[in-house]
Amino acid sequence: MRASVTQAPAKPNRGYGRWTPLWFLAPSVITLLLIGIYPTLFALVTSFRRYNITRPREGFPFIGFDNYVGVLTDSTFWSSLFLTAKFYVTVLPIQIVLGLAIALLLHKPGMGLLKSLARVTLVVPLATTYAVVGLIGRLIFNLDFGVANQLFEAIGIGRIDWLSSQTGAFAAIAVMDIWQWTPFCALIFLAGLSMVPGEIEEAARLETSSKLALLRYVQLPYLLPGLTAVMILRSADVLKLFDMVFVMTRGGPGSATDLISIYIQRVGFRIFDLGTASAQAILLLIITIIISRLYIRLFYREVH
Amino acid sequence: MTFLRLDNIKKTYGDVPVIKGVSFAATKGEFVVFVGPSGCGKSTLLRMIAGLEDVSSGHLYIDEREVTYEEPAKREVSMVFQSYALYPHMSVFENMAFGLRMAKRPEAEIKAQVAEAARILQLEALLERKPRALSGGQRQRVAIGRSIVRHPKLFLFDEPLSNLDAELRSQMRVEIAKLHRSLGATMVYVTHDQVEAMTLADRIVVLRAGLVEQIGTPTELYDKPANTFVAGFIGSPKMNFTNARVASVSGNGLVLEHPSFAGGKLALERPSASGVKAGDTVIVGMRPEHLTVAPAAPVLALTLDFAESLGGSTQLYASGEGDPVIALTSGRPDLKPGDALNLGIDPAHIYLFSAAGLAL
Repeated sequence: MRASVTQAPAKPNRGYGRWTPLWFLAPSVITLLLIGIYPTLFALVTSFRRYNITRPREGFPFIGFDNYVGVLTDSTFWSSLFLTAKFYVTVLPIQIVLGLAIALLLHKPGMGLLKSLARVTLVVPLATTYAVVGLIGRLIFNLDFGVANQLFEAIGIGRIDWLSSQTGAFAAIAVMDIWQWTPFCALIFLAGLSMVPGEIEEAARLETSSKLALLRYVQLPYLLPGLTAVMILRSADVLKLFDMVFVMTRGGPGSATDLISIYIQRVGFRIFDLGTASAQAILLLIITIIISRLYIRLFYREVH
Repeated sequence: MTFLRLDNIKKTYGDVPVIKGVSFAATKGEFVVFVGPSGCGKSTLLRMIAGLEDVSSGHLYIDEREVTYEEPAKREVSMVFQSYALYPHMSVFENMAFGLRMAKRPEAEIKAQVAEAARILQLEALLERKPRALSGGQRQRVAIGRSIVRHPKLFLFDEPLSNLDAELRSQMRVEIAKLHRSLGATMVYVTHDQVEAMTLADRIVVLRAGLVEQIGTPTELYDKPANTFVAGFIGSPKMNFTNARVASVSGNGLVLEHPSFAGGKLALERPSASGVKAGDTVIVGMRPEHLTVAPAAPVLALTLDFAESLGGSTQLYASGEGDPVIALTSGRPDLKPGDALNLGIDPAHIYLFSAAGLAL
């Protein structure tokens, strides 16, 4: 019987059948369905209903596109959307420029240990929950003991009541967003820069001593896919930016920081008009998709 | 007139010396080839000339101007890389025009220069293509075109042909040689392939482990190698080496002993070997192509191990009591493995080296 020990045939494992992969995939697929697809579909259905949960007696009848018409004629919706766009065009260029600067610094050769330390540090803001970022923001921009005001006093400008003034509050949430998302841009651009083959960079260095020309003509083409990703992710993220702003300002003072998601939350969970809120959310989803396709069409270029 | 001068150039990475002091001068219009086994520092040396690597110590002059610490773009050199290093997002035209654009030359001049380069390299039909739509040989021509449009003082080539297949490689080799002749430019070329070195170079610099082993014309290196390393590196198949004992020394000749020699002894006239004494060991070198089969006066008495017919010539692998010997002979000698093989050689073609490997 020794022979059977030494040449045991590779029998197919009876525990592994054609459905086995399904069992491995099932948990994530089910989770995704539960927390992703189902709520989206629920919102879609709700958006076609009159759905105010403070008035359950009226039932939740289908009302066609009434909610959508209501949203599109709601001037607050449009001004919130406009404010969100303003927020986006304020923070994104700063994030891109700062992120690119950090990436270029980290891309330079030398100081290996410090650089890897810096790379790890970049992840910290990304790993911080939005609500916590908001709490940090409240501390930084506190009127009496915040770091921002201490800094401003030190350089002789004096205290500013950040969170109670219209521009101050907007600036404060912008700064916190920049703090949280610049590292993300830096990491994406750093990955793009490391895609440039060394010899191509060297060939360019033999032809020009201008760092700007090197960036513009040789490195930038490799950064475009990452730049597109940054713009898409950021526009989706700014449209749903809620926790941080809610913790810092609750949309105020007045409507100074009343971003679109704050407004939708108010419609949904203060007025409890879930039908309208759902219609607003679905419209946001459509806007996000349109913007993404636009970015891909305009900016995305693969380098082969 | 000296055009490129390296003065005791050294390079260290941390504590590790890579280039241990290289001095060398090339005249205008010369084609210089750095050759050596991988890791000998030849590419590092070239990259230091280009300015892509810092020089740890020493001085570098191009056209009478010290450029040791000059930026790469201000050295007026151009380089052809092993991977071609074309800008993937630019057309062939833009690839070649890039350097001129960066130098802010007028558009008309750029067009004229690129057209001229394209004509020389037969790239006219490809100017609108992107590099990815080109074959390896075409890419290499674009890379060469990119370097010639700028009329640099110095052309640098870093193993430009090693990514090409054998046929294309010999074709491009001829084109580079022609280009050198028609441009009359100074070129420095790095390769590990001694055939490229022999065919292209006006002068060869043989490097090993960061040091120059020998500098000379291809024929000088072939005829008078300074040591066994150069002797073994230049020539293909490589030189046969046998350690022999000096039996006696007389006047301007000496007698060597080795069991592989016909009759066990070999008498040589070699006035230059006056330093050796009877009893010393010397290294005898014989090139495979100098050995003749079945001569009137045999020098080596060996046994054939096997023969490789290359069609027009035959490569014979033989062994005696010492190291195996390779001989290259024309025609197809009627020999079987195990046959006795007597080989002869013109004594003038026998190389002698000291036990330490230096030419005698």
